[in-house]
Amino acid sequence: MIFSPRLWQELRLAGSAWQDWRAWGLRLLLVGALLMFLRPAPPRAVLGPPQAVVTFQSLLCMHTRLVDEVEEWKIQRSLQMVRDLGADTIVEFFPWAYFEPEAGDFRWAQADRIIQHAQNQGLQVIARLGLVPAWARPRPEDDGLLDAGRGQDTTLNYLDEAHYADFARYVAAFVARYNGVVSHVIIWNEPNLTFEWGYRQISPTEYTEVLRLAYEAAKTANPEVVVLAAPMAPTLEPEGSPWGMNDLLFIERMYEAGAAAHFDALAVHTYGFTFPADAEPGPDLLNFRRIELVHAIMVRFDDGAKPVYVTESGWNDHPRWTKAVRPTQRIAYTIDSYAWAEGHMPYVEKLCQWVLRYPAPTHSYPDNFTYVTADFRPLPIYQYVQAYATGQALELP
Amino acid sequence: MRRFRFPATRRQQIALVLLGLVVLLAFGRPALRWVWRLIVPLPAQPMLPYGVLRVGIDASYPPFGVAAGDGTLSGLDVDLARAVAEAMGVELRFINMGYDGLYDSLRADQADALFSALRVDPLRTNDARYTSSYFDAGQVLVRAPDTGIDEMADLDGLILAVEFGAEGDLEARRWQRRLHSLAIIPHESAAQALDTVQAGNANAALVDAISARLWLREHAGSPLGMAPQYVTGDPYAVAVQPGNPRLWQAIEAALGALRNSGALDEIINRWL
Repeated sequence: MIFSPRLWQELRLAGSAWQDWRAWGLRLLLVGALLMFLRPAPPRAVLGPPQAVVTFQSLLCMHTRLVDEVEEWKIQRSLQMVRDLGADTIVEFFPWAYFEPEAGDFRWAQADRIIQHAQNQGLQVIARLGLVPAWARPRPEDDGLLDAGRGQDTTLNYLDEAHYADFARYVAAFVARYNGVVSHVIIWNEPNLTFEWGYRQISPTEYTEVLRLAYEAAKTANPEVVVLAAPMAPTLEPEGSPWGMNDLLFIERMYEAGAAAHFDALAVHTYGFTFPADAEPGPDLLNFRRIELVHAIMVRFDDGAKPVYVTESGWNDHPRWTKAVRPTQRIAYTIDSYAWAEGHMPYVEKLCQWVLRYPAPTHSYPDNFTYVTADFRPLPIYQYVQAYATGQALELP
Repeated sequence: MRRFRFPATRRQQIALVLLGLVVLLAFGRPALRWVWRLIVPLPAQPMLPYGVLRVGIDASYPPFGVAAGDGTLSGLDVDLARAVAEAMGVELRFINMGYDGLYDSLRADQADALFSALRVDPLRTNDARYTSSYFDAGQVLVRAPDTGIDEMADLDGLILAVEFGAEGDLEARRWQRRLHSLAIIPHESAAQALDTVQAGNANAALVDAISARLWLREHAGSPLGMAPQYVTGDPYAVAVQPGNPRLWQAIEAALGALRNSGALDEIINRWL
């Protein structure tokens, strides 16, 4: 019989057992929740006692990529590794788009973090400024209200003439905030590539105008700051190319446009590609000593007394990239480049390597420019340059 | 019981309309656009707005993309893009650029798709929509098949040849900490590491699949072969403008057809 008293009693007992299990389940959940609070804290990045860099190579400098780091301990760890390497200066990017997300609304927290940790490790900071916030770029929907179709999107590099003055105001705000802490700023990056202008065609004259406005704004904020004109991308692109312009030609045209009055020092990018450090330079050749051709232009325009900061340099050891060398060559050429710069380039103030580490791997040949993997494993180039800079002997295999 | 009704009066109705307008104004143009979209949907976006498939490639990466002195392009990615365009029945135009500009060229509408040995990168999914992988360039063990070495764990107590400083070298050092003993011999290149195994001076080499395939092709009579399982994965895929799902579907369909017909393997074997 379905509703027998016995069945009814068994159902009640089962219900009681279920209530017991439910009570125990709740207790376990409570214990679990308490245990969650007992888990180890995430790594913290507490500023320790101020450190000093010990090095035998004062030219050594490292380009870092810290601004995209979410976790503060990674910023600190990276800067510790720069100090351990024996480099006393970093070049770091401080994008306008990150620090002024709305017009006039500056948010410096990440920049403060990086600069505090750099100071704590005894490192000087050369700040590269660029990247345009959304509010200073045309929006796709500006093609018309309630647009009928999609508009052309712009990249973070897109800066049009209407916002040159806004960029200059950002430069002034940055220089004023870090007065006495950051003494060098670079205005823009590789202006001879259209990619660096969001695929907008730009002339040396236009970049000179950006430089003039930024220079005046920076000097108003801090007359002592050293303003570096942007480094060019080493390229042989002919005039009129949709992708860029020969770097030497671009610099010449800048001088002709009167740029000399608007920078204190010149930033240069130079890569060795497949050539040794001492390979002869030539106008139709891209190699490390292209710096000498750049400096010759400075001398020609009576500007040779200004210092040169090599803010990106190095060799790549990817097994397949056409412009790469073998890992042992990369090490040897890199170390040779310091000896060459010391002996032959008295105007070079710093020779910075691209790049310490990426926040995440690219999974392509750019990873073979790094000194440290994304998970902080030092690559052989790191160990050998460290040995060189700290006066130890390390034989190549 | 009295039923609750809102808006019950004309005054409440006007207040509701005004509130709606205030909300629309507060949220500005995006809200207006959203309401407008409900009424008038966007016209269908053409798959190729410029009437031609514009392919971005960094042709400095053999054997996937190489530019000759006169600008002529060749390589696995070049052949693959041509085959995909042919399967889609569209005209093709290559745009050779540096690696740094590849993803930006999608955003700035300079290219429709990238065929450039790009590894699927989860951090780039805002910038590109990836197709399924057409090649795995991950790290692989190369050894004589009768040695019983099929994975890294089989190398305990043995000798492994690697390319100095390469991904295989880093992976080998990671395994060195896990195994009881593993001797690592670094070499100047992947080819030299493989030569060492061939000469019997190491039990296996850990190199990327491209180097392994190129070496095995050049040493057709060699008893060495690739282990069946890759040690690490490195899947290459085509990256398409994220706002163009029709193009992504068409390329994905073309890749599927090439895969099923054996044409994809033929292209890979032509270069690797």
